[in-house]
Amino acid sequence: MKNQKIFILMVLMPFLLSSCQKVLDLKPTDKLQPEQLFSDPEGVKVYMANLYYQLPIEDFTFFRQGVNFNGGDPNNGGFAPAMVTDEAMHTEFGDFIGNDDFKWWEQGYKLIREVNLMIDVIPTLAINEAEKKALIGESAFIRAYAYFSLAKRYGGVPLIKGSQPYGSPESLKVPRSTEKETWDFVLQECDVAIENLGTEKGRRANKFTAYALKSRAALHAASLAKFGSRAPLTGDAVTKKLVGLDAATAAGYYDACIKASQAVIASGQYSLFRPNPANPAEAAENYRLLFENPNSAPEEAIFVKGYALPGTSLGHNYDIWYQPAQLANGWPHPGRMNPTLDLVDTYESYDAPGKSAPIVTTSDGITGDYNGYSPTKNYIRYDSPNAIFANKDARLWGTAVLPGTLWKNTPIIIQAGYVKPNGEAVIRVKDQITIGNNTFHTYGAASVTQYSGFDTYGGNNTRTGFSFKKFLNQQKPVVAGWNQSTTDFMEFRYAEVLLNYAEAVVESGTGDAVLAAKVLNDIRKRAAHTTNEPLTVENVQRERRVELSFENKRFWDLIRRREFHTEFNNRSMHTLLPLQDLRALPATKYIFVRVVVPNTNPRTFEPKTYYRYIPGIGTNGLVQNPQY
Amino acid sequence: MKKIHIYILAVTLAFSACKLDNLEKPAAGLSGKFIDAQTNELVQQDIIRGTQIELKEHGYDPVSSQFLVVKTDGTYENSMLFANTYTIQPVRGNFIAVEPQEFKISPGSTLDFKVVPYIRIREASITKTGNKIVATFKIQQNIISNVKKIGLYAHVDSRVGEPMRQAATERELNAVTDANQVYTLEIDLPSNSAVLKPGNQYYFRIGALIDASEAKLNYAPAVRITI
Repeated sequence: MKNQKIFILMVLMPFLLSSCQKVLDLKPTDKLQPEQLFSDPEGVKVYMANLYYQLPIEDFTFFRQGVNFNGGDPNNGGFAPAMVTDEAMHTEFGDFIGNDDFKWWEQGYKLIREVNLMIDVIPTLAINEAEKKALIGESAFIRAYAYFSLAKRYGGVPLIKGSQPYGSPESLKVPRSTEKETWDFVLQECDVAIENLGTEKGRRANKFTAYALKSRAALHAASLAKFGSRAPLTGDAVTKKLVGLDAATAAGYYDACIKASQAVIASGQYSLFRPNPANPAEAAENYRLLFENPNSAPEEAIFVKGYALPGTSLGHNYDIWYQPAQLANGWPHPGRMNPTLDLVDTYESYDAPGKSAPIVTTSDGITGDYNGYSPTKNYIRYDSPNAIFANKDARLWGTAVLPGTLWKNTPIIIQAGYVKPNGEAVIRVKDQITIGNNTFHTYGAASVTQYSGFDTYGGNNTRTGFSFKKFLNQQKPVVAGWNQSTTDFMEFRYAEVLLNYAEAVVESGTGDAVLAAKVLNDIRKRAAHTTNEPLTVENVQRERRVELSFENKRFWDLIRRREFHTEFNNRSMHTLLPLQDLRALPATKYIFVRVVVPNTNPRTFEPKTYYRYIPGIGTNGLVQNPQY
Repeated sequence: MKKIHIYILAVTLAFSACKLDNLEKPAAGLSGKFIDAQTNELVQQDIIRGTQIELKEHGYDPVSSQFLVVKTDGTYENSMLFANTYTIQPVRGNFIAVEPQEFKISPGSTLDFKVVPYIRIREASITKTGNKIVATFKIQQNIISNVKKIGLYAHVDSRVGEPMRQAATERELNAVTDANQVYTLEIDLPSNSAVLKPGNQYYFRIGALIDASEAKLNYAPAVRITI
């Protein structure tokens, strides 16, 4: 009996084994195969949508932890990249740039691998030539975008120009190309995209999106070449030219930026949104609208990333983190983006256009005194907590919620304290005083739900004296939950292309200086300026700072122009304290005091931070960036 | 019974598989000084963004460098290194570049670097005169290059320097200096009253920066003054 069983087993064995021969060729039944996905044009669309999603767009979901940081647990405490620049401070955190911040390596090569796969299958797809051409263009745009994001972080990187067939692990290791080769590849891919893409406007890349990318990337490369010597680095990566560009290459990159920007300008397809406002108030409202809903400005928006589904990774968190504390609507930690006095100072005044107009608080006109309130100083008294900003550039009013202004039909109260009739000041302390029949509160109101400034309660009140407005939704109350905001983000807009053009012309001394001055002033005119300013390096940079503030451009401007280590050398940001001056009673008067942002330490940028570290060099064998 | 056997087997396997971390902790260390080759004095440094010592441990390829920071007085110590041969080189310093050297680090190793500082700050004096802190000094350059800037830095901590200061007065020179010229820098106390409070003690230090790639400032020792 037992023998018989063994016999049967022996007979069956060859059959059993032979039937297993193709076990490794079995297809999973729960996953789509590439052929299946790509054989259907709808499948291609789905795949492409995913590639677009992975683009490293530095929008509302771009944080120190990376891009698209809103899936899973999106709680980052409301820390935004603007807070490591001179644009803003967080209400509580004083963090600066850490080694692991703003990296984009694994996700970068994942996107590149997937777009390479797309590029491979395009010729095999059953679609017409025009559609193929569009896909070739879009793939090149995505690849250019990905390598641009790598190059600005890491310098020269391994250029994977096609799908890598799996062989030995060694064959998959590609050494870093030089930084120049990497930038040249980015521009070359932009050219492929420009050549193949059409001009149709929509959410997908078109010819002008590719030109806009080229304009931005070429300007970045040109600046590195021109200003690299401001922060020289040494080490293996430098000797092998894996980081750094020769100064001589600047001219070529500026020229590429000029040509690409000019192509967008000359096309006549785009223009500034509401370019001729009647007055500053209208200009401020136009500017605010442009960001609250970019879809209302198709003439200016070149490339928009949409947010559509609240509560998913297609929603973001700007409204919960950054609406002023008074309008938190149940959210526990609002008000966390605090625009700095340093940024506010930068905006021009209509009284003296053509230069930054620092906020003057004392009759002697000194703006560099941060020693705090003193009863002996002669402060200028204003009738309201925002009268001091009356003649400042409309874009300040469209970007920040200023003390005592209306937002969502609510007066936003930002007050740091008061000066008692005896000249003694009570600042950043919760207190009250009754004079006659009136009671005055240091923070401008009695209860913590009634004001938005300076009280450290919950880390919810601005500590710079300014709350945030740009991009925020004024129409809807805050929904106290994750990913509830659906404001779209303009990744490329016409004004940036104009500013790129102006910068490339003024830095290189080539191109059409008359046109460059005109476009610079067109942007100012849109902000209700009535006089022109000349095309100078300083004017272009100031205009960039104010026009593009909080669009996550400032960080890279400081990087590419090698200004971070000089701008942030033991640097503290500043606050404007609005105080009610009770010495003026019965009149209601306010004075302002310039101070260092309370509870912060000065910050210093280390030159090695101009490049991120290359991860995993033990395995991938790549040369590490300097000083890591 | 059979079950018990299986349990015993499983438990034995599980325990034998677990051993506490069996790596020895780093037992060796390295310390030393940066000494001015001519004057035999310590070469003053910055603790933040200052000179670093690059260590490359042998036996690994590729190897990530380790960097040791140097104390402000010009000494350094790391007592938690693995005993091994290393390639050691001070980098991005405030002295003429030093070649890398191979060195075997064992417990309590010492390694001093004789260096030529870019700049020597001589005859330094810092005093409180009226409402001002006044520093006077001379500059001796040891390489032919411009002196970018000079500065007087103040901080409540003794490790004061250009990257770590609460108040400062700096002057851009961008010129080759004359060793006999006396430079004067002042910090006005009333106009810095928010950070330099009367009655408190602060440290003041004179620094000078040469115009060379990745150069760090040279300093005179910090001076403590009650203001």
